[in-house]
Amino acid sequence: MKAPIIKAEGIYKAYGEVEVLKGVSLNVNESEVVVIIGPSGTGKSTLLRCLNLLIKPDRGRIWLNDIEISAPYFNSNRVREQVGMVFQDFNLFNHLTALDNISIALRKVLHMKVAEAKERSLQELNNVNLLDKKDLYPSQLSGGQKQRVAIARALALDPQVMLFDEPTSALDPELIGEVLEAMKTLAEKGMTMIVVTHEMGFAREVANRIIFMEHGNIVEEGSPNEMFLHPQILRTREFLWKITELYGKHENK
Amino acid sequence: MEELIFLYTRYVPEFIEGTKTTLWLTGISLLVGFIIGLPIALARIYGGGWIRKLVIGYVEVFRGTPLLVQLFIIYYGLPEFGITLSQTASAIVSLGLNSAAYQAEYFRGAIQAIDSGQIIAARAVGMSHIKAIRYVVLPQAFRLVIPAWSNEAIGLLKASAVVFLIAMPDLMAKAKIIAGRYFSPIESYLAVAVAYILLVLFLSIFLSFVERRVKIPGLEIETAR
Repeated sequence: MKAPIIKAEGIYKAYGEVEVLKGVSLNVNESEVVVIIGPSGTGKSTLLRCLNLLIKPDRGRIWLNDIEISAPYFNSNRVREQVGMVFQDFNLFNHLTALDNISIALRKVLHMKVAEAKERSLQELNNVNLLDKKDLYPSQLSGGQKQRVAIARALALDPQVMLFDEPTSALDPELIGEVLEAMKTLAEKGMTMIVVTHEMGFAREVANRIIFMEHGNIVEEGSPNEMFLHPQILRTREFLWKITELYGKHENK
Repeated sequence: MEELIFLYTRYVPEFIEGTKTTLWLTGISLLVGFIIGLPIALARIYGGGWIRKLVIGYVEVFRGTPLLVQLFIIYYGLPEFGITLSQTASAIVSLGLNSAAYQAEYFRGAIQAIDSGQIIAARAVGMSHIKAIRYVVLPQAFRLVIPAWSNEAIGLLKASAVVFLIAMPDLMAKAKIIAGRYFSPIESYLAVAVAYILLVLFLSIFLSFVERRVKIPGLEIETAR
């Protein structure tokens, strides 16, 4: 049995009095697509940011490929070369073109040569069908295009795991589709993905496992079938019912 | 009126000498102010504990006292502690240290105007905090700071006039000399005022040009229209 690619145990994080994560444990296997759902402010984003050490948990341990990355003197910058992240607000570098947004990490973090970095970046941009936008600045791109560049930027480092923090929440409904398509393609290629989202259609279609979080704890988890058709816990049922009512457009199946 | 024309034609070389001094003094002091000011801004934003308190203290002191007082303390006061600086050195040190305090605050404003998501994203692609600041925050901050920094550059050009009080041969000093020689202070000082206006004008035009050259679409502070 191969070890999980990401393992988190007992993650606890509090900001002053407020307990955001109350001891969350999680295993993700290679090529698994895990979708985390739940009400806002329940620690989903915080959990994601703990997994790539953008946030340091107060308690708990995290392993990437059996290496404990939460150890006190571990170089967290190296972790982020292996674990990519895509944000709700895109966070593209405003002073750089789409192409340079992708190549800058290759040049300044991986110390790739300029020509090689450029070629690699063009490839990644092509993979998300935005080659013709390579010389445009973020302010000249639509939301969906920005997010796809952000995905290309994260993928350029060739990570083992990709984290998505509500990637479509800031997008126009019409643009959500193109981003979800890109993510679906990524999943089909075998990328390990952990996605926080409200897009139930995506969860049902692409996820291998769905986790429902609330108040800093994992309430229930299971396969899409188990979760959508036979949720065991009342709270899960309540939440899913509300969400599917709200996002009714995904229910035409 | 003839005296004015006489002044201008007869003393153009002197004015040019004075202008040169004013210009290079302003330039070097701006540079010193930048070299000291930027780290101060970074220390204030990213530093902890006593470093922050120290730099805040520095800024308060140099913004809170008149440039003239700082100049005199450095030129006339320091020798009592055994530190004797030449006129040029005193001028550069006081203008530089003063400018640093203002530049630090302008840089701090520009850096803090940049969305925190930029650093988070930079770290998410593996950059260290220092690399994130160097490759993502500062390039953007430099563009945002231009209007405020232009203000400082122009201000320093004019403020530099105080150095004539320690006998630095700048534009203002020349004005005084010429006024003394020909007993026509109004013509002399007016001529120098015009000279300063012209210098400031050229500086403004140059800085506007720079601003346009480095402009990036979308990288501005949002203004409602």
